[in-house]
Amino acid sequence: MIDLDTYRTNVRAWLRAADMPVVPRDLDKRFAVLREWQRTLFDAGWIGIAWSTESGGQGLTAQHQLVFSEELARAQAPQPIGLIGLDVVGPSIDEYGSEWQRRTLLPRLLSGEDIWCQGFSEPEAGSDLASLRTRARLEGDTFVVSGQKVWTSWAAQADWCALLARSDDGAPKHQGISYLLVDMKTPGITVRPLVQMTGDREFCEVFFDNVRVPADNLVGEIHAGWPIAIHTLGTERGVYTLRRRVDAEVALDDAVAELRQRAALPDGVPLSERFLATLGKATVALRALDAQTRRTVDRLSAGPTPEDSVDKLLLNGIEQTVYGCLADLLGPFRSTPTSRPLGLEAERWVHEHLYSRAASIYGGTSQIQRNIISQRLLGLPRG
Amino acid sequence: MLERGWSADLLRDAAAQGWFSLAVPEEVGGLGIALGELAPVFVALGEHLVPGPLLENVLLPALFADTAVGERLVATVERGGVLAMADPGISCAWSAEVGRVRLTDRGLSGSIGLVRFAAQADLLLVVADAPDGPHVCLVEPGAAGLFVEELDSADPGSRFARVTFDECPAGQPLAAGAAATELVGRLRAWARLLLACELAGIARHLLTITLDYVQQRKQFGRVIGSYQVVQHTLATMHASTSSLHNLCLSAAADAGDQVGRELEVTAAAAKAYASETARQVSEDALQMHGGIGFTAEHELHWYYKRALAARTWYGDERELELEIGRLLILGPDAVPPQNGGLRQPAGATS
Repeated sequence: MIDLDTYRTNVRAWLRAADMPVVPRDLDKRFAVLREWQRTLFDAGWIGIAWSTESGGQGLTAQHQLVFSEELARAQAPQPIGLIGLDVVGPSIDEYGSEWQRRTLLPRLLSGEDIWCQGFSEPEAGSDLASLRTRARLEGDTFVVSGQKVWTSWAAQADWCALLARSDDGAPKHQGISYLLVDMKTPGITVRPLVQMTGDREFCEVFFDNVRVPADNLVGEIHAGWPIAIHTLGTERGVYTLRRRVDAEVALDDAVAELRQRAALPDGVPLSERFLATLGKATVALRALDAQTRRTVDRLSAGPTPEDSVDKLLLNGIEQTVYGCLADLLGPFRSTPTSRPLGLEAERWVHEHLYSRAASIYGGTSQIQRNIISQRLLGLPRG
Repeated sequence: MLERGWSADLLRDAAAQGWFSLAVPEEVGGLGIALGELAPVFVALGEHLVPGPLLENVLLPALFADTAVGERLVATVERGGVLAMADPGISCAWSAEVGRVRLTDRGLSGSIGLVRFAAQADLLLVVADAPDGPHVCLVEPGAAGLFVEELDSADPGSRFARVTFDECPAGQPLAAGAAATELVGRLRAWARLLLACELAGIARHLLTITLDYVQQRKQFGRVIGSYQVVQHTLATMHASTSSLHNLCLSAAADAGDQVGRELEVTAAAAKAYASETARQVSEDALQMHGGIGFTAEHELHWYYKRALAARTWYGDERELELEIGRLLILGPDAVPPQNGGLRQPAGATS
């Protein structure tokens, strides 16, 4: 297997020579460009790096994936657009899916031809996910799905949805859930994007009205979807933490570069201690996350564990510390997006800061992570 | 022993077991283990709250082994003696209170307000300023013009003294110019790293005893560890403690290959995180123990006091965050604060 240093050199060389896409602001155009970009990355062998070759991946390790993510971010290249498929849903399909599902769906997921979304949360089932009420009634060889999902990221752009639905009303709540793969073009699905506080329209409400899903699209056994959902959430906590760490490092490096330039100007006003200490604080937080995620990489191949909740909890706090620090550098200029106080682009840092507030909510809130840590890692009794 | 801040017997036992030879190069009779590999040792010292000049006795022979006094330093620690370092770099923000020592052709003059184990020391290493940059000198306790005034100590792991020099003969400096700048930079970086490890050990121990306690203590008919508010505190303590431990081990491993600004940022970041995290974990442990944790009968207060002392030694998070900001922004040409700053060695690369 190729060693990490050589791999990094190869990634850098490829990225230097690559045609970087210009990412349009318009959401539909952005998706079109970024699907192409994912296809380009896929053709060059940079997608599914840690996936097995049988599943269409490169058969390398999580360390190689991390190297690629780091270099991609440092080159200021966009991430592949299908991250929910690649990092969240895909690994569960690969682990639990049928031969047919893996063979037909995974190649398209990897190449960016299919964008995936994750139909988990519902209006009445957030942290208590297992109380979800979307129904999947088996009629012959078809599930008939009705209900509502919410906070479904990129549902308006997605081609497929990994859906949790209740298939057995009578069973205890964790034992009546099935994990279905739903083609978003199926009649009866309505998607309504929600505008978030960042101004983005990332997540959506999704309504299912007697949507007919072939029984072949069931992952694993009927009523046995809960452990698969846990696998999906665990993957999200571990792998996603790595990506967000890299993003935050690049953000801090960019801010440092701006401020260094400022400090080097002959007529530059000396930077106050407050600004220096703010950067120091962000640096300390990121060093801690970096050390933590090095351990994560070592255990990722073993699959999700309750340890992932430690990473996610730390990521939440650290991401918010870092972007909170960076936004603090704007002072009163945060209110005027076109300003550039200290050379920093106000619009970017305000956006990042607001987005970071979601970190402690998505993928299981910080409170849920603490429940998992205290009960499943530390062995404290349920109240 | 914790009332006294150290134990001569313990130090001799530790020396007899070879603790202080671990990081000494093989050429001068040590085991030649890299300092970074001692991280788990300092974590264990923290977990067991071992008092005494362990930091000085490990660091100084390792870092100064190839100077003219290397063999003396090694011989002193191997027979259970005490090394102390009069270094104004123990604090940046309080540098005016800490003081400084100047080296002129009339010897050393000035004072350092806080020196660990100066009154017990067999040899005293002094970081002094001279017109041509920092110098490192070695002074013996009976030297003319050296005055050591022992102070009360509230740190269960240390004794303190104020050390004053009045034209004290400095002998041949161990290092001068760029070499001294580089050595002092390394000394301070490794002091920060090993103190961070000790703080990580303290946090680990306090997490362990707190986890036990909340599963024994009952209120309202059930163990308090079954209440969510207690569980969430323990979960936060666990995440903080494990991330601190990971950071210390990673930083110590990385530091072995680093020099200059890179090494200084690595060490300062680990110490800053340790200072903040160990205090938070200690205070959560105290809160979870309720009244018993506040008594002198329980061991907790010793750990808390040691954590509070160690967090300030070579900078707490507020001092070090500012220093890291300086290093990042002002870069290789950065002018550090007059005393105790994280200095950029001449010729080092960032």
